[in-house]
Amino acid sequence: MSKIWFWLLIASICVLIYINPEIILPTMLSASEETLKLCLKLCAIYSVWLGLLNVMEDSGINKKLSRLLSPITRKIFGKMDDKTNELVCMNISCNILGMGGAATPLGMKAMQRMDDKSGTATRPMKMLIIFAATSMQIIPSTVIGLRITAGSQSSSNIILPTIISAVLTAILGMGLALLIERLKKRKK
Amino acid sequence: MSIYLLPLFILLTFLYAKHKKVNVYTSFISGAKQSMGVVVSIFPYLVTIMILVSFIKISGLASLMARGVSPVFNIMGIPSELAELVLLKPFSGNGSLAILNDLFSTYGVDSYIGRSASVIVGSCDTIFYVTTLYTSKTSIKKLGYAIPVGLIATLGGAIISCLVCRII
Repeated sequence: MSKIWFWLLIASICVLIYINPEIILPTMLSASEETLKLCLKLCAIYSVWLGLLNVMEDSGINKKLSRLLSPITRKIFGKMDDKTNELVCMNISCNILGMGGAATPLGMKAMQRMDDKSGTATRPMKMLIIFAATSMQIIPSTVIGLRITAGSQSSSNIILPTIISAVLTAILGMGLALLIERLKKRKK
Repeated sequence: MSIYLLPLFILLTFLYAKHKKVNVYTSFISGAKQSMGVVVSIFPYLVTIMILVSFIKISGLASLMARGVSPVFNIMGIPSELAELVLLKPFSGNGSLAILNDLFSTYGVDSYIGRSASVIVGSCDTIFYVTTLYTSKTSIKKLGYAIPVGLIATLGGAIISCLVCRII
């Protein structure tokens, strides 16, 4: 990750020095400003979701949900303690329901609990990242909104293709990861 | 119908919590309290990735790379018009939404390009953004195969999206 970041950064700075060197610093500053605005927005979103999620946790809804999903998660993610399993289950449900704002803090908490302080990602951590990155949504609301604004005649006819493609993408990602894990085990 | 789904879910959550004798007021506060901490800790990571994203866009590196890879994408069934979207998607959600809008106005929302682009954007998340956020509070430096696999899956997802749109 840091390597990709570094080389792409160097490449684009070189290009920019060639085209328009004056724009480099202002670009960095405005990117930072945009991020601050984004963070304020995220802070508002997280406050609502984390508040709601805490109520759900205190009332035991989380536990029920995770008991429902744990046969699946245990197979994909391997061994996890109950609390982590609960967080992972909630993260997955939020992702699928299209509540990305709620999924992120849950995922971060789960990652913290999976961390073994070795600096290397463990198997469940990699799985969670891949799952979140290929995450499927039942209703891609942002895209549909954009389509309506752009004057689409049938704004929601992309729902079915999106679900199909999202499910297949997630399976592809998970499948590849499981395959690599299996190959690694065989090597040992 | 679906507009009632989320409000009802929220209402039921609060009522169920009350039924379970949870103090909803304090419980909600102690949850909401964490949001500041989360945002403060992810800010530096987000800034770093956002700087790269705007550099890639402004320097024209994205469209340059798109031109380079579009023959390869064509073989895999991704039209060249969508190459830039597929390349930028792993980095920036907002960036790809902007490109999506451009594609809509250039090729039409209900055209094959417009629909495929919508499906590509809707069907997966931005891997670098997700990875940045998820690892920001951990000790992780080495991610192993997570990023390559995520990228392959994203590319595979784009191929699948174009294919599905051709059929349906």
